[in-house]
Amino acid sequence: MKAPWHFMTGGDWLVVLLLLTSSLGGIVSIAAMSEGSRVLVTCGDELCFTAPLDQPRTLAIDGPLGQTKLVIDEQGARIVESPCPRKICVSMGVAKHTADLLACVPNRILVHIDGSSGKEVSYDLLSR
Amino acid sequence: MTCSADDIQALSRSRRQVFLGLFIAIAVSLHAFESLLPTPVPWLRLGLANIMTLLALYLYDGRAAWSVSLARVGIGALLLGRIFGPGFWLALVGTLFATSAMIIVYRVAGRRLSPIGISAIGAGGHALGQILAARLLVVQHAAIWQVLPFFMLFTLFAGVLTGWLAALLLEELREHPAFQQANGALTNQ
Repeated sequence: MKAPWHFMTGGDWLVVLLLLTSSLGGIVSIAAMSEGSRVLVTCGDELCFTAPLDQPRTLAIDGPLGQTKLVIDEQGARIVESPCPRKICVSMGVAKHTADLLACVPNRILVHIDGSSGKEVSYDLLSR
Repeated sequence: MTCSADDIQALSRSRRQVFLGLFIAIAVSLHAFESLLPTPVPWLRLGLANIMTLLALYLYDGRAAWSVSLARVGIGALLLGRIFGPGFWLALVGTLFATSAMIIVYRVAGRRLSPIGISAIGAGGHALGQILAARLLVVQHAAIWQVLPFFMLFTLFAGVLTGWLAALLLEELREHPAFQQANGALTNQ
């Protein structure tokens, strides 16, 4: 069996290198972003919950499929339990950097981390 | 036995239809097989069915590639019970992006790119289309773009792998009389 590089032309290498550098560059720039300070939860189309990232707590968020459990602790925010069939959100791991994202698409829940420490926000917890 | 030009044309047309039907069947099987495999992160799949789209593109033309990729998405979703669900729309938009990208680049670059390069571009287009569809249809939030580089990185490996498999197959199939005649039915007579 012939190895991939047997078939690859100069153009192929260019395409692969271009895609590789752009995706690695994207990952590095995301990783370089500072640690976030606020957890925002979007249910469906609206923001339904915000909480500071530095206070440990467990949240149960209601979605169309049922309750999704979100845990905030010293590691960051993560989804530990969800009624969605494929548990993608659970396997997304921990979110703690600005603009990190946990999405449970079937249950219409989006958790993301905000960098602003909330200067204009006087409340430390919001629940709707 | 004598063959008129009409017969040869009709023969190559039906041969093309039979082979495209076969390609679609194989693509659907690969797609169904792949959905049974456990993956570390769901939604990340190798896209082995794309091998058949590449074969159709290289052995026939862009129209053949469209037939295989669109039929694969439709029949595959029907078979797995996902048709018209959110995952189906993501797959459809991803496939539309991937197939258009592959056909356009194939036409522009021609022999300067092997199936591996075309497949890598198709895989990148697929990731882009899927995230775009997810952004517009499912998660109405710009933060979804953050996952694009991770998707792109994985998809690049998947694209090179499927492109390599397609290149290996193409090397064998191009030699086969069935496809030589399909390519040059009128010039060979």
